[in-house]
Amino acid sequence: MRKPPRWSFMAFLLILAVAAAGPPMLPGDPGRTMAKPFAPPAWSGGDAPPPFSGAITPASREITIDWKWDAPENLTLKGQLAFDEDSPVRLVWTTAEGGSFTLASFRGGSLWEVDLDARDMAFKTGLGIPPFASATSLLFPGRGVQTLSLEGPAPSGGSLDLALPGGRWGLLGTDQRGRDVLSLFIVGVRVSLLVGISATLLASLLGLSIGLTSGYLGGAADALIMRAVDVLLSIPVLPILMVFVGIWGKGLWQLVMILGLFSWMGTARTVRSLALSLRESCYVENLRSLGAGPWYILYRHLLPEAMPVVLAAVSLGVPGAILAEAGLSFLGLSDPRVISWGRMLHEAHGFGAFTAGAWWLIIPPGLGISLICLVFLDMGRAIEEMADPRLKGGGGR
Amino acid sequence: MRSYWTKRVLGAAAVLLLVIAANFFLFRIMPGDVVSTIVDPRFSPEAKERMREVFGLDLPLGRQFAVYVRRMLTFDFGISFLSQRPVWDELKSRVPNTVALLGSALVLSSALGTWLGVKAARKRGGFTEKVVLLSGSVSFSFPSFFVQLVLLLLLAYTFPLFPLRGSVSIPLPQTGTARALDYLWHLLLPAGSLVLLGFGSWAIYVRNLMVKTLGEDFILMARAKGLPEGRVLWNHAFRSALPPVLTLFLLALPGIVSGAVLTETVFSLHGVGKYLLDSIMGHDYPAAGAAFYILGLLTIASNLAADAAYALADPRIRVGGRVQS
Amino acid sequence: MIPRRFLSLILFLGLILQGKAACADFDVSSVKGPHIKDLYMVIYRDPDSQMLALQKGELDVLGDIARPSDVDRLASNQEISLSISRGFHLFFMGFNLRKEPWNDRTLRHAAAMAVPSRQIVRDIFSGYSEPVDTYLPPVSPYYEPDVTVHEHDPAKARQILADAGWKWSTEGTLIPPGGDRPLKAVKLLSPTAQVAPTTAEISNRIAEALKSIGIPLSVEPLDFSSMISRLDRHDFDLFVMAWSLSRDPDSLFAFFHSSMDVPGGYNIQGLHDPELDKVLEELRWAPDEKTADGAARKAQRMLSDISPWIPIYSRYMVAAVRDDWEGVVSTRSTSADNLWTLLNMRPLHGGERPVMWCLPEEPRSLNPLGTSSAYDWQVLALIYEGLIAVDPETLGDLPWLATDWKVETVDGEGGPHTRLTFTLREGVRWQDGIPFTSRDVRKTLEFLKEHEIPRYYDNVRDIERIDTPDDHTVIVTMGNVSYWHLHNIGGSPVFPAHILETVKDWESWQPARETNPSVKELTSLVGTGPFVFREYRPGEFVHLVRNEGFWLLGGD
Repeated sequence: MRKPPRWSFMAFLLILAVAAAGPPMLPGDPGRTMAKPFAPPAWSGGDAPPPFSGAITPASREITIDWKWDAPENLTLKGQLAFDEDSPVRLVWTTAEGGSFTLASFRGGSLWEVDLDARDMAFKTGLGIPPFASATSLLFPGRGVQTLSLEGPAPSGGSLDLALPGGRWGLLGTDQRGRDVLSLFIVGVRVSLLVGISATLLASLLGLSIGLTSGYLGGAADALIMRAVDVLLSIPVLPILMVFVGIWGKGLWQLVMILGLFSWMGTARTVRSLALSLRESCYVENLRSLGAGPWYILYRHLLPEAMPVVLAAVSLGVPGAILAEAGLSFLGLSDPRVISWGRMLHEAHGFGAFTAGAWWLIIPPGLGISLICLVFLDMGRAIEEMADPRLKGGGGR
Repeated sequence: MRSYWTKRVLGAAAVLLLVIAANFFLFRIMPGDVVSTIVDPRFSPEAKERMREVFGLDLPLGRQFAVYVRRMLTFDFGISFLSQRPVWDELKSRVPNTVALLGSALVLSSALGTWLGVKAARKRGGFTEKVVLLSGSVSFSFPSFFVQLVLLLLLAYTFPLFPLRGSVSIPLPQTGTARALDYLWHLLLPAGSLVLLGFGSWAIYVRNLMVKTLGEDFILMARAKGLPEGRVLWNHAFRSALPPVLTLFLLALPGIVSGAVLTETVFSLHGVGKYLLDSIMGHDYPAAGAAFYILGLLTIASNLAADAAYALADPRIRVGGRVQS
Repeated sequence: MIPRRFLSLILFLGLILQGKAACADFDVSSVKGPHIKDLYMVIYRDPDSQMLALQKGELDVLGDIARPSDVDRLASNQEISLSISRGFHLFFMGFNLRKEPWNDRTLRHAAAMAVPSRQIVRDIFSGYSEPVDTYLPPVSPYYEPDVTVHEHDPAKARQILADAGWKWSTEGTLIPPGGDRPLKAVKLLSPTAQVAPTTAEISNRIAEALKSIGIPLSVEPLDFSSMISRLDRHDFDLFVMAWSLSRDPDSLFAFFHSSMDVPGGYNIQGLHDPELDKVLEELRWAPDEKTADGAARKAQRMLSDISPWIPIYSRYMVAAVRDDWEGVVSTRSTSADNLWTLLNMRPLHGGERPVMWCLPEEPRSLNPLGTSSAYDWQVLALIYEGLIAVDPETLGDLPWLATDWKVETVDGEGGPHTRLTFTLREGVRWQDGIPFTSRDVRKTLEFLKEHEIPRYYDNVRDIERIDTPDDHTVIVTMGNVSYWHLHNIGGSPVFPAHILETVKDWESWQPARETNPSVKELTSLVGTGPFVFREYRPGEFVHLVRNEGFWLLGGD
């Protein structure tokens, strides 16, 4: 009869491993800019160029680029050159089709600071193109050899760095700031797990103890507690979370506390109604007449009976907390410095990834959240079935 | 029975008062100065001060509260700080949209969920059970706004079967029937997506309850008596599993209300939830308090209704003689 | 190769390409509209649904496009034309000059050199914003380009600090001259990422930059109104903020004159500079435009030396219009989503059809007296008009309900006054058919002053008397001298006297829900403007129709 452990337990261990070992193994700070914003994943095909860099120095006054791709997203030219001679110098771009553009010029005689970026309006204006046109399409009209050369006297020192960002990046592309989505994804799993598990544990403990107490004690205590539950239940959760986040701030632990404090009522109510009907049941009446104390009955009989309900609450609770975190993040109510999957979706939405069709920003965190939730649901169900084998579905796993 | 109702209604009234108090104080401990949300950079400091007087923010807190309770009970929510119009005027046009959205989503998802749950429990290991368990888990584990945004993108833009926004077409259709159909057409995607996201958890919950109940002795008895399976299932098993289902209904309600904030945001719907969100963001105390209150009222009313159903459905709860021993 | 659709672009930054000059010279007097009959201002609040609707053709005009990815996408859409203009907008970081060490000018200069505004604009706006060094946006007619520029140069920043006697601790934190204690950790107040994602991002970049020269700075994200209240109480070190300004430079007075340094005043940074005060007073109470211009320019030059702010950028306004409309008006200072476009546009093909215009927020109350919401005014500005309009190209004054005006400084009791004489246009009627006369102007100004209506009170508070010698002349005498009175009075909307007389409580006035006393089909929301209010359906749209009696249509 022994079966291998359910898939969800394996998946859970895997997720834990990623959360524990993943972030330290990343090659650097996930906040770094790696490629152009919204760069699709490297494997997704297409004709986007790889990154390119070159330099103009006193030794090499020309950069030749053998270009075989679509125009790059951007072009930057930064650095400084020193000139002793007092005569003008120019940076000239020659395209494969023979077109020639002056990118910048200088009167000579001193240190020349260059800081050009093809996105600058001044750069576009200098090339004589309208503000919405792409300067790089002008500079890279077709495939072939484009050159950047320094015309005028030779510089005596310094260097100019030309950089063309790549159009594709990594396994999962980049986000609106050019950060590597895979790194963010790996870092984000921690937050989802942390928030989900801690908030639910807090809520379940609260719910269980309050529900049992209320249901078993009955009387004024029950009435009072249930009124309190009613009040808390009457206030829609999301808005009250928003209010509290506004007051307490958006830290992660505040979020956990708030989520925990405002999601125990469900468990409490269910447990209490169970305790209530159990309290009325014959066998508890019998126990009581046999002289069993309330704590004994609570501990030995009500608690085990309530366990499946609590486990159901946990199994539904972790995904609930994770989804609540995602929802709050979607509304922008999470700490912007903490990278979570919900936050990633919020930023993707805020920066137009949905309409831009930047699926690599949407699918990983979206599916990631769902996967974690599914894992917890299935684990919860497994635990439930162990506690109450009647629930076992024929093939439902 | 009468004393039960007196008690419940009194309880509800107490809850109502507490909700009002909570609203009042919650919104007043929110940080920030309301004057700053309605000023224009060109206003002089005196003009700002005048704004503060005009809005009566200088009254003592106690008096502000007394006035607040009376106003809530008479649906006089005062003037919105932001729009300077009566809040109820603004809310009025939103309540029907929200009730339509929530009502249809709640009824449809609970009906579909219950029906599928019972069906799944009847045929253990059957196709329905597999579908329920799978779709239930899947629909319960996707972030709602994510699914809704994807649906919106697919069904309103890529394949434009549904409108992108709002609850009416522009220009408005001419006839009454056309307008009603137009409204339904606009409601279909938001409500449908909420159903899609909501029925799964219902179905699983109901299935679990039913599985349990179907194993009870009284079901075996009923079966042994030779009652038709449908009757056993619905009249006996389901009826006895009903109270926890009603509990679920209660638990689901505020969640769905919260979901409305997100749904109304995604689908640009003109509803109470979106109004609440905007008011909280804008520190518009009267407006946010009123929207909160309306949503609280809806929840309290549903609470009462479910309490009634609970009492009717589970005679084991000895309503009158409870407690007081 | 530049795509053909760019030919309809009106150019900016002084860039006039051959063959396009004809489009760039927009002649206001050629406008004889509106040609469209129905205008729906449709409420789309979510930027995503705005974009989808525009591309799907459910929207015709969309203004204020902020996300660079949207701009790039629309630029490659063949059915949509984009226009870009400089905005009356300024984003800056301010110091609390009341406190050590920010009262040290060298430190402020070094900080300005440390902040890479150009790179910030590139990275965050993909170039669709303009880095600035001055205290007025470049679009302003009073903009002074020749100021002290604190070019980005962290090495030089450290150098000038070292020259002034600053030292660095072993951790790299700055130590003020003559002291031995490094600077204490300080906070930069910033709106949260939820309200303003780009601003929050910029704050982080600023904090990084200032840390690099030894200022121990971190960002403190605050929700907008708690931030404002901290600023009002002067409880801060550094802050970031953006202002939307008007075309008049007297905002400089509000921001930098020492009299405005009161709790809740606009001189948030607490600048007290007697010399600057003198120049700002000259600006505020200038008798004519020339004096004003000189003072405004001088103030900007002085400010760039004082450095009470680090100006960061000014926004470009990007607007999109679908290509099946012609007659769209946009200039280097006014993006396509303007009144002139509405007066001038018509369908390129086919017959008359309604214009779908995006309204990004719900109108709040449509109460022209009570509201200060910009979205209300997007609607109300089509209904109510002022005596003077603003030329979309030059930003100069344009005759509107007044055909002519005179600004004089006259002597009277208690010193000189400004006297404004307006000659009103003849033949103008309110939308309910009643003629527009000097009585309406007089009643409007009196009403605004008498009820101290906040939105207008600063404009009208100095009015001393109003004379209406005949139906088409209004003489407004102010209590003091200022050239800006012309814009304050001439720019205020004029309301119909016969409606104002019925207003009992201006704060809760709802003209859109009152039946017009003279014409049953209309509401009390009637002006002289090109469009007549028809219906507001909350959450959905505002419907307006052409004012068939609009005075600009008269010639047809």
